[in-house]
Amino acid sequence: MSRSSPPTFACWLLETVVPTPYREAILGDLIEEYALRTESTSRFTASRWFWSQTCRSVPSMVWSSLRSRDCLISIGIAMSVYIVMEILEYAANLTISKWVAPQPTTYVVLAPVVFLTACAIGGCVAARIRRGATKFLALMVMITVAVLIDLKVCTIPVPWWYEFGFLTLGPLAVIITPTLFGRLKQQGAVT
Amino acid sequence: MIVRREIEERTGRNISIGAVYATLERLEAKGYVSSFTGEPTPQRGGRAKRLFRVEAAGKRALEVSEQTIRSMTAGLKDRWRTI
Repeated sequence: MSRSSPPTFACWLLETVVPTPYREAILGDLIEEYALRTESTSRFTASRWFWSQTCRSVPSMVWSSLRSRDCLISIGIAMSVYIVMEILEYAANLTISKWVAPQPTTYVVLAPVVFLTACAIGGCVAARIRRGATKFLALMVMITVAVLIDLKVCTIPVPWWYEFGFLTLGPLAVIITPTLFGRLKQQGAVT
Repeated sequence: MIVRREIEERTGRNISIGAVYATLERLEAKGYVSSFTGEPTPQRGGRAKRLFRVEAAGKRALEVSEQTIRSMTAGLKDRWRTI
C-alpha cells in the first residue's frame, strides 16, 4: 500500500454497499481527499478520516438504496438466485447422503464444502446479473442459516463453531467470491 | 467533494459524504438539480467525478425556502435581548 492509497477494506466495503449511480463519485471523492490529507497530515490521521467517512456514509447509502426501486429489482434477483442455489444444494446433499457418503461423519465434513460452493456460485451468478443483489443474497443466506440453527434441524451432534462457520462463512463467500473473481479477471486482462 | 467541504466550512460540522450524495440524489429525483459524469482522473484513482447543476425548479424552491427562513427569523435578535 503506497502513501496515497486509502484503506483497502474500507474501499471494498464502499464498493459493496454504495449503489451503482454514485459509487464511482463517492469513492473518487474520498480517494482524492485522502491523497490531499496524506500530504498535510499523517497517514494514520488520513486513514482514520477515511474510515470515519466510510462508517458514517454506509447507513445513509443503504437507506438511500432501500428507498429506490433499484433495490426491489436486486431483492428479486437475489431471491431467484437463492431458490436455484437451494435446489442445487439440496440435490448435492441428497446425492452425498444417499450414494457418496451415507455415514453421518463423512456427511458432516462434506456438507460445509457443498454449502460454501453453492454460496460462492450463487454470489457469482447474482453479481453477474446485478452487483447490488449479492448483499441481499448474503442476508438471505444468513437469515436462513440462523433460523435452521435455531430450529435445530441438524440431527447430528456438532460443535458450536461448526454452526457458527455456516452462519459467517456462507454470507462471506457470497460477497467475497465475485470480488475475488473480478480482481483475478482484471489482473488477467492487465497481464 | 466541494459541496461537502462548503457545508463543513459554513456549518462547522463534520458531514459524511454519503449523507451529501443521499441528499443530492433526492434533490435530483425532485428535479431541483441535475447531474452529469465528468472525466476520470488519476488523482481520484481513475474514478469519474459527479458534477451537479441547480435547475430552475431548484432555484425557485431555494428562493421560497430562503424567504420562509427570513420571515421566520425576522425580529428574532430584538426578542433575544428581552429574554
